[in-house]
Amino acid sequence: MTATVPRRRTEAGLLVMAVGITVGAYLLVSLGRTATLPGNIRPFVLVIAGLLFSAHMATRMFAKNADAGLLPLAGVLNGIGYVMIVRLNPVLANRQAAWTAVGIVAYIGTLVVVRQANRLERLRYTFALVGLALLLLPLVPGVGLNINGSRIWAHFGPVSFQPGELAKLALAIFFASYLVERRELLAGTTGRVLGRLRLPEIRHVGPIAAAWVVSLVVMVAERDLGSSLLFFTLFVVMLWVATGRGLYIFVGSLMFVVGSFLAWRSFDHVQRRVRIWLHPWPEATGAAFQIVQSLYAFGSGGVAGTGLALGSPTRIPYAATDFIFAAIGEELGLAGTCAVLAAFLLMVGAGLRIARQAPRPFDQLLAAGLNTIVGIQTFIIVGGVTRLVPLTGVTLPFVSYGGSSLVINYVLIALLVRISHDSNPATIAARKEQ
Amino acid sequence: MPVAVLTILKLCLVGVIYLFLARVVRAVWVEIRTERVGVTGPTGSTESAAAPAVAPVGRRAARKAAKVEKANARPTLKIVEPPGQLGTTFRLDDEVTVGRAPGCAVSIDDTFASQIHARVFQRDNQWFVEDLGSTNGTWVNRKRVHGPMKFLPGDRLQVGNTVLELQQ
Repeated sequence: MTATVPRRRTEAGLLVMAVGITVGAYLLVSLGRTATLPGNIRPFVLVIAGLLFSAHMATRMFAKNADAGLLPLAGVLNGIGYVMIVRLNPVLANRQAAWTAVGIVAYIGTLVVVRQANRLERLRYTFALVGLALLLLPLVPGVGLNINGSRIWAHFGPVSFQPGELAKLALAIFFASYLVERRELLAGTTGRVLGRLRLPEIRHVGPIAAAWVVSLVVMVAERDLGSSLLFFTLFVVMLWVATGRGLYIFVGSLMFVVGSFLAWRSFDHVQRRVRIWLHPWPEATGAAFQIVQSLYAFGSGGVAGTGLALGSPTRIPYAATDFIFAAIGEELGLAGTCAVLAAFLLMVGAGLRIARQAPRPFDQLLAAGLNTIVGIQTFIIVGGVTRLVPLTGVTLPFVSYGGSSLVINYVLIALLVRISHDSNPATIAARKEQ
Repeated sequence: MPVAVLTILKLCLVGVIYLFLARVVRAVWVEIRTERVGVTGPTGSTESAAAPAVAPVGRRAARKAAKVEKANARPTLKIVEPPGQLGTTFRLDDEVTVGRAPGCAVSIDDTFASQIHARVFQRDNQWFVEDLGSTNGTWVNRKRVHGPMKFLPGDRLQVGNTVLELQQ
C-alpha cells in the first residue's frame, strides 16, 4: 500500500482536468472581453496547478485512501467561480485568489492537524462554546458591524470576517458528538404513548427547542435569514439521521413553519423578502431590482449562454457574491448552471457515500452534517436567485466571492476527506497491522 | 475574434466540464461495482446487502490480523455475531477492556453494550472474563458472568448483542 493508490491516480487525472477547465475559462473571458490572450497566462497556470498540486500531495501523504472526487470537484467549482469573479470584478478577483491560497493551506492544515476525525469528538463542548460564541460574536458592540442590513460581520482591527461560517462547522462537530452520545434516548423508546405515536420525553426534545430558539435569535438580532435557516435545518437533519425517526423531520418542519410565520408577521425585512419573491414585477425597479435582473440574466443566457464576458451580468447588484449563479446562468446558460449543480450533486453524493461507509457513528453523523451544510446552502441560494424560494443571502459554496466561506469550505472538504480515508477498509487494515 | 469561434470555444469548455463530471461518475461507478462483486454473491441475502461496506472491512482485516497473530502467537477475540461485523478481530494484550467507549481495546459498536462493559485478562497463562458493572450483563457460553470467570479458546463471550469468540 506504499505505492500509489488507484484513487489518488484518479484524483490526479481529475485535477489536471480541473486546471484545464479553469485556464480554458480564463482564456475565454480574456478573448471575449478584449479579443486578446491574457499576458499573465503562464503565472496563472503555474499558480492554479501549484495550489491544486500541493493539496493533492497533502492528500497523498496524509489521507491516501480518501475519496478521489471531492478535491477535484471543489477545485472545478472554485475555478469556475474565480473566473466569473475575474469577469465581474477584477479587484475582488485578486482577493479571491489570495483567499483560495489560504483555503488550500487550510485544507492541508486540517489534514495535518486532524489525524482522525473522532479525535474531535472529545472536544465537543469546546466546539459547542466556540460555535455559539462565533454565532453571537457579531452582536458584540464594537466588534460586530452592520453591512447591507445584516449584522454578520466581526471586525478586529484590519481583519473582518463572517464568524457564522466557522460557527456552522463547529456546531456540526458538536451536534455529531452530542447526538452519538444521546441517540438512544432521543430515539424515544422510553417516552409516553400518545395514540400510535411514541413521543420522546420533554427533556429529550429540549435540544431541538434550544436550536430553534438560537436560530430565531440569530435571525432576529443579526437579520441573517440564510444562516438561521441553515443552522436549524442542519440540526433537524442530523437529529433525524442519528435517530432514524421521521417524527423529528415532522416536528422540525412544523417548528420551521411556525417560526417563519412569526418572523413574517413581526419583521419588515422578512415581509419584503416574501413580497418580492411572490410579486417581483411591480417593484422591478425598486426592492425587487436584484431578483428581476437575476431572472433577466437567466433568460438572456438561454440554453447555451451568451459566452464568457459577452453578457451583462454586472447589472445584477452583488453578482460576485450572492448572485454568481445568475452570472453563470447568463454567460454559460442552462448547460453551465446544470454542470455546476451536477458538480454539487456529485460532491454531496460522495459525502453521503462517505457517511454510509464510515464504521464509527460519530464519523457517519459528522459526514452527514457536513454534507447537509453544503447541500442546504446550495439549495438556499440557488433557489433564491431563481425565485424558487424567498431570497436569503448565503454564499454558493466554493463559487461565490467570500474569504470566510471559501476557507471554511476547504476545511469542510478536508474533514470529509479525512473521514473517507479513516473508514476505507485499506486504512483500517493498515492500522490494525501496526 | 469572430463570435462563431468564441461560441464554439464556449461549447467546448462546457463540454469539457461535463466530461470532467462524467469521469467523476465513472470513478464512483467503478468503485461501487467492485464493492458489489466483493461482497454479495449471486444469492446475496438481505443482511449482507444491508451492510456491504462493513463486511469486506472485517474479512480483509481478519485476514491481515490472522497473519499478525501467527507471528506473535497472541490469542484474539473475533466477532461472530452480528453478521454485519462478522470477522472483525481484536488482538488481546495481557488485559483489555470490552465496551462501546472508543477508548476500549475491544471497541464494539453495539447500543446494548455499556461504555466500559467487561474486562478480559490473563493470570498464570489462563484467560478470565470479568463484568464491570454493565447494564445488560456479560455472558460466556450463555452463562452469566459473576466475578472473574475462566475463558478458554473457543468460548463465546456475549456483550450486548455482540458475540465474540476467543481464538488461540
